[in-house]
Amino acid sequence: MFADESPEWNLDFDNSDTCEECGEVGAVIHLLRVENGSVSHIRLCQKCAENLAGRTEGMALVLAVPAIVGRVGKAKEKGETGPSPVPTSDSQVCTVCGTTLADVKETGMVGCSVCYQVFGDHLRNVVQGGEEPPAHLGKVPRQGSASDIHRREVMRLQRMLRELVECERFEEAASVRDRLSELERAAPGGSV
Amino acid sequence: MSAAALKASGLGLSRNETGIRFPHAEEATALEDLQQRVEAALKNGGWDEPWRVHDLEELSPAEMTYLVEKGLMSPGFADGTGEGRGFAVYGDEVASLEIGGGDHLRLLGFRTGDELSVLWSLLSQLDDRLEGTINYAFDPCWGYLTSHPEQAGTGLRIYATLHVPTLMLTGRLASIALELVASGMGLSPLWGGAGGIIQVSNRGRQGKPEIETIQEIEDISRDIVEKERSVRKMFMRENPIQVRDHIGRAIGLAQHAWNMSFPECVNLLSAAEVGLELGLVDVPGLVGQAAFDAMRRLQPAHVVMEHMEAKQSGLESPEIDQVRARMLREIFAGARVLS
Repeated sequence: MFADESPEWNLDFDNSDTCEECGEVGAVIHLLRVENGSVSHIRLCQKCAENLAGRTEGMALVLAVPAIVGRVGKAKEKGETGPSPVPTSDSQVCTVCGTTLADVKETGMVGCSVCYQVFGDHLRNVVQGGEEPPAHLGKVPRQGSASDIHRREVMRLQRMLRELVECERFEEAASVRDRLSELERAAPGGSV
Repeated sequence: MSAAALKASGLGLSRNETGIRFPHAEEATALEDLQQRVEAALKNGGWDEPWRVHDLEELSPAEMTYLVEKGLMSPGFADGTGEGRGFAVYGDEVASLEIGGGDHLRLLGFRTGDELSVLWSLLSQLDDRLEGTINYAFDPCWGYLTSHPEQAGTGLRIYATLHVPTLMLTGRLASIALELVASGMGLSPLWGGAGGIIQVSNRGRQGKPEIETIQEIEDISRDIVEKERSVRKMFMRENPIQVRDHIGRAIGLAQHAWNMSFPECVNLLSAAEVGLELGLVDVPGLVGQAAFDAMRRLQPAHVVMEHMEAKQSGLESPEIDQVRARMLREIFAGARVLS
């Protein structure tokens, strides 16, 4: 059985960043208090969240969720406290599924895989704080182009090389480095 | 007595097909077509074990809840509605597949004990086979794509079930939850927090291979359980009467109650397990089975489906609490508090 993420968990976050305990701007944690089966929530800054967590007694269970949860659609698009906003129009539309940027902001959901390209700037801004998503590591579909498979193998080896160097396992690192050089020479199109 | 850190292991692996909209945005005909293609693939031979495809329309509320209680179906899928939804169970209930829920496909696996890696190996094999039917939506940077961009990545949600009643009772769980959030994990109460049963899971799906995240969850779980055991011992040293009283009362209630709600039953079994681990009680009925297994079997739909004649009476029947109390009395027959 899996812990239920019932509607109470899909909190209706508003755009406020104010800590409900100290009134300061910078609330980053939503604390959920589960007591006698009922769930209540409070928006707090890190410091107040830690203080409140320290005061918990009895059967109350306090859980914390980061404020980013559920905010894909409702993130504040202002520059002072977060990443720089990307100038986009809410009428921007994915021609494959008809989803508009306004829809994505409202629901936090995209309509199809092409939306990731169409609304890429917005999604990176909100989900990744303006950064490119970290390169995907782990399982990949078996079906893929030769260049994709090659690129993933290079990424995997680069990561392994970094970790081996960090652990000072230089002999193994040298062997991985040689393998990387071979792959780079053999890259489809001549470069990685 | 030393027990495994994880009481149970669970995995959910989300996948979507490229070329059609995600379920919430897609038309019924396209979702029904997907359901038919997947179900046809499940029914075709070539799998190591057979799939049993269920008709969701024909499942009663008790049967549906029974699947949820077994970890074969997620609560969100059980509550869902709409066209093109399908469900199938693999082999001897070792895994299952939700079709047309929040994602086009979601493979689920759940079993008791420390089995995350074994489960991942199984789900990954099933995933490979399904890829022969479904062309997965995938992006080299984002990973496997879903309708919720913050969940794109490996598509793997990992659930480690832990028994930490002392951390919960002493309020230490809150600070642990905050630490978990900082490392991209989350903590949820299973069964509303009864018995100190919680699930640790990963919130993010990006930036790490599946097996690393599994390893991370296992390490975190072991740390949490280690803290629980150390706090238990400390609590026993400082408040021996309070601990013995709490556990002794639980044994008494379990032996003599004739009406037992599920949350109360979990609390009593939880206390008995703590008593067993501290060497304070002897419960012959719990020899050879973990208290967690007993908790699973005493869930409402389990009681209805496995121990009641009138399965149509539903999950609101007062008889459930009476049957559960009888089962609990049987488990605790011969139990005694050691002095």
